[in-house]
Amino acid sequence: MATATQAGVAKLASIVGEARVLTDAASCQACAVHGRVPRCVVFAPSAGQAAQVLQCAAEQDLAVIPRRNGTKIETGNPPRRYDVALSLKEMNQVWYYEPDDLVISVEAGMKWGDLQHFLSRRGLWVPLDPPGGDKASVGGCAAAGASGPLRLRYGTLRDMVLGMTMATTEGKVVKTGGRVVKNVAGYDLAKLLIGSWGTLGVITEVTLKLFPRPPQTRTYAAAVASLEEARQLRRRLLESPLAPQRMVLLDSTTARLAGAALFGDERFQVWIEAAGSERVLRRYDAELSGWLPKAHSLGVNESNWASLADYPALWLGAWRGAAVLKASLPVAATETFIGQAEEEARASEARLACIGMTAVGVVRLALAASLPPDRLASLIERLRTQAVQLGGSLIVERCPADVREHVDAWGPPGDDLQMMRRMKQAWDPKGILSPGRFVGGI
Amino acid sequence: MQVPPLVQELIQATNEEAVLWRPEDLMLYEYDALSSRRPPEAVVFPATTQQVAAVVKVAARHHCPVIPRGAGTGLSGGAVALEGGVVVSLARMNQILEIDLENQRARVQPGVVNQDLSLAVADAGYYYAPDPSSQKACTLGGNVAENSGGPHTLAYGVTTNHVLGLEVVLPDGCVIRTGARYWDRPGYDLTGFIVGSEGTLGIVTEIVVRLMRLPEAVKTLLAIYDSVADATATVAAITAHGITPAALEMMDGLMLRAIEAATHAGYPLDAAAVLLIELEGLREAVEEEADSITAVCGAHRARQVRVARRAEERELLWRGRKNAFGAIGRLTPSFYVQDGVIPRTRLPQMLDYIAGVERRYGLRIGNVFHAGDGNLHPLIMFDSRDAQQVRHAVKAAEEIMGKCVELGGSITGEHGVGIEKNELMPLIFSEEDLAVMRKLKQVFNPQNLLNPGKVLPSGKMCGEVRVQVSLGS
Repeated sequence: MATATQAGVAKLASIVGEARVLTDAASCQACAVHGRVPRCVVFAPSAGQAAQVLQCAAEQDLAVIPRRNGTKIETGNPPRRYDVALSLKEMNQVWYYEPDDLVISVEAGMKWGDLQHFLSRRGLWVPLDPPGGDKASVGGCAAAGASGPLRLRYGTLRDMVLGMTMATTEGKVVKTGGRVVKNVAGYDLAKLLIGSWGTLGVITEVTLKLFPRPPQTRTYAAAVASLEEARQLRRRLLESPLAPQRMVLLDSTTARLAGAALFGDERFQVWIEAAGSERVLRRYDAELSGWLPKAHSLGVNESNWASLADYPALWLGAWRGAAVLKASLPVAATETFIGQAEEEARASEARLACIGMTAVGVVRLALAASLPPDRLASLIERLRTQAVQLGGSLIVERCPADVREHVDAWGPPGDDLQMMRRMKQAWDPKGILSPGRFVGGI
Repeated sequence: MQVPPLVQELIQATNEEAVLWRPEDLMLYEYDALSSRRPPEAVVFPATTQQVAAVVKVAARHHCPVIPRGAGTGLSGGAVALEGGVVVSLARMNQILEIDLENQRARVQPGVVNQDLSLAVADAGYYYAPDPSSQKACTLGGNVAENSGGPHTLAYGVTTNHVLGLEVVLPDGCVIRTGARYWDRPGYDLTGFIVGSEGTLGIVTEIVVRLMRLPEAVKTLLAIYDSVADATATVAAITAHGITPAALEMMDGLMLRAIEAATHAGYPLDAAAVLLIELEGLREAVEEEADSITAVCGAHRARQVRVARRAEERELLWRGRKNAFGAIGRLTPSFYVQDGVIPRTRLPQMLDYIAGVERRYGLRIGNVFHAGDGNLHPLIMFDSRDAQQVRHAVKAAEEIMGKCVELGGSITGEHGVGIEKNELMPLIFSEEDLAVMRKLKQVFNPQNLLNPGKVLPSGKMCGEVRVQVSLGS
């Protein structure tokens, strides 16, 4: 087996060149996924070579996990097997940029921060604040369907991706969509790849819709005494004509970790960020001062939002060994879910922190406890059951290895699992791409 | 007349009133808004998901194609029974099953008419954003199949951006649910894959859609131009200024006069082109955007920028736009509407090109389109009784499509591929791209019994001949 693998590695080197295949222990260790260490790290310099690497790996039956900076690599189940870390680090070019048309095509390995920096020169941006912040890559964000609080106003990558190129395990580079903002020609493969977590193909290029950066932003922070108050506030906001960019409900620990001052003994803070001209912001001043009597800015600014976007670092820095969870729910159930999670945590003597994007139905949680792994796992399962009963789902984004053995990352699949398996089979018949990492064992 | 065995089984799967099979009854179902082909063997009107599944199973036993159909307003032949078979009309599954305002969702059956959903939630201050021009007739199921757009999708996105979950009957009669009532359900986004698949992957029997809050303020502007080039340059400039109106439509002089005669919308008869611009949102933002847009229009030599003062005036301006395809009957016995997309910066170049095509073939071409997203609808006018004109119309359309592709665009922005453009798919997709699409289609539709002959090129007949057959009939 070892020799067969060595021969496989040699073949990969013949595709990308020997300098682009690393087999030393330190490099392989750096690409470990849930403790599994690959046999080599391969750097693909182009989509064509990425496709050849996949084809070769499929022929040699080598399991591949695509990656860039690994900001989200811990999400998902441990791979059933893992031979090749396929790095897209070298693929970081802009291939097409038409600022007047608000369209850009970039290689998947481009870092999110670099993309935004590039666009800022013309006052443009992609209005998405993904987990992992600037270090996340465009391809990684697409593969993970990553999004942050900005989705309240702008939606997610699902709404912004106009086209995509991907490498398949058959060794082909396949294109879907295009470079225009409206297009219904052919099946929309980009939808399948977004949120597929590297299990169907390797995203090599992404074409995105661009937006002008708003002239000004202003964040209003206020103390929120109870979840009932938070619910009223969320309803009021969604029923109002106001369309803020972001709104989050934070427990006081998270607010403090993100650098905000506290009002005093509040249970929660709400941050609402409005964007627009001075005149538009004055309207927000007037409306929100009526709703949030105790509101003031607390000096919450872009840097606080940025630390919030990198919430795993924020929480894990304070609570080592915490589990980081994401619940997706109907909007109306978000506060209820937070309340139930608090009760469960209290009953298990666990500490709970939360970032509730309550107006879009996403609640991120950190759960820290000095519990045995199986008991922490069963606490996670109880939270999952509650999310499911409220009509939603819950995934485990981060957790200690010994906990992960007891809990699935994704939760129970639906009655479309059979079709998902057949999709996987069509894209990756040998099962070499991120095997076992996704929903239902895919 | 003897009832054929297929029909007997279809009646068993549903009931006597749900099946049409006599030739005179089938004639209505041999065409959609693109073309007329041949009548199906039968038309079935199931009332429930279970009946849809039962019908699909009957058809599968007879190895008979199944063609799902909404209101038949599609413009690319997606509901035409190309190879005969059973048309499954979803027209009787027209219930709004649930309206959930706090979660901004509705759950509907596929036969619900697009506009009826918006009307049902309007009093509560909500609406469903995608608004195809046929929204008074077209169904949400058809919208899902075609991933339909409309004027107001510029700011809010097309159908796929508003659909969260589906119930789907697969060609083997299995029923699955995809997506959810919330975004981000873990798993492959089969909902996103099925939306826009033109009825080739499954029959959608239930849809969860997003509802949106009606805006606080709406302003509709009509910018009037003495030259087409100035109007198109304005569109590019509005985009480059980063202003995204809710809608940004263009109509040229030829279309204006036809529409005015039909609708009396108050359009200027002597203009070379107008832009119909709608701004929505917070009062303050709308006012500021109106000022910036008026300035941009002025800088590009707009003769006048009119602002609709009352709701009736707005409504009238829009009625003109939405009835444009109907109004063209005053100008020509037949027309062929295209649906190309180009990068918005290339609009001036493209409109010049279309004018050249018009001169070259001696056919009039009207332009009424979604300028803000570069989605063109050139209407090529011809007389279907004149074989040469038919040929020229098809040639003209192909040249316009070719130019769209050359400028980095697409062959369809919202009307779908259907049987109209499937042979043109190689213009924008490689054989490898198409091979993957074929393979994924097989995952859902392995026997190719569901809506055969649509979307993907068959290679059997060149596109030109196929389109001529449909236009000329």
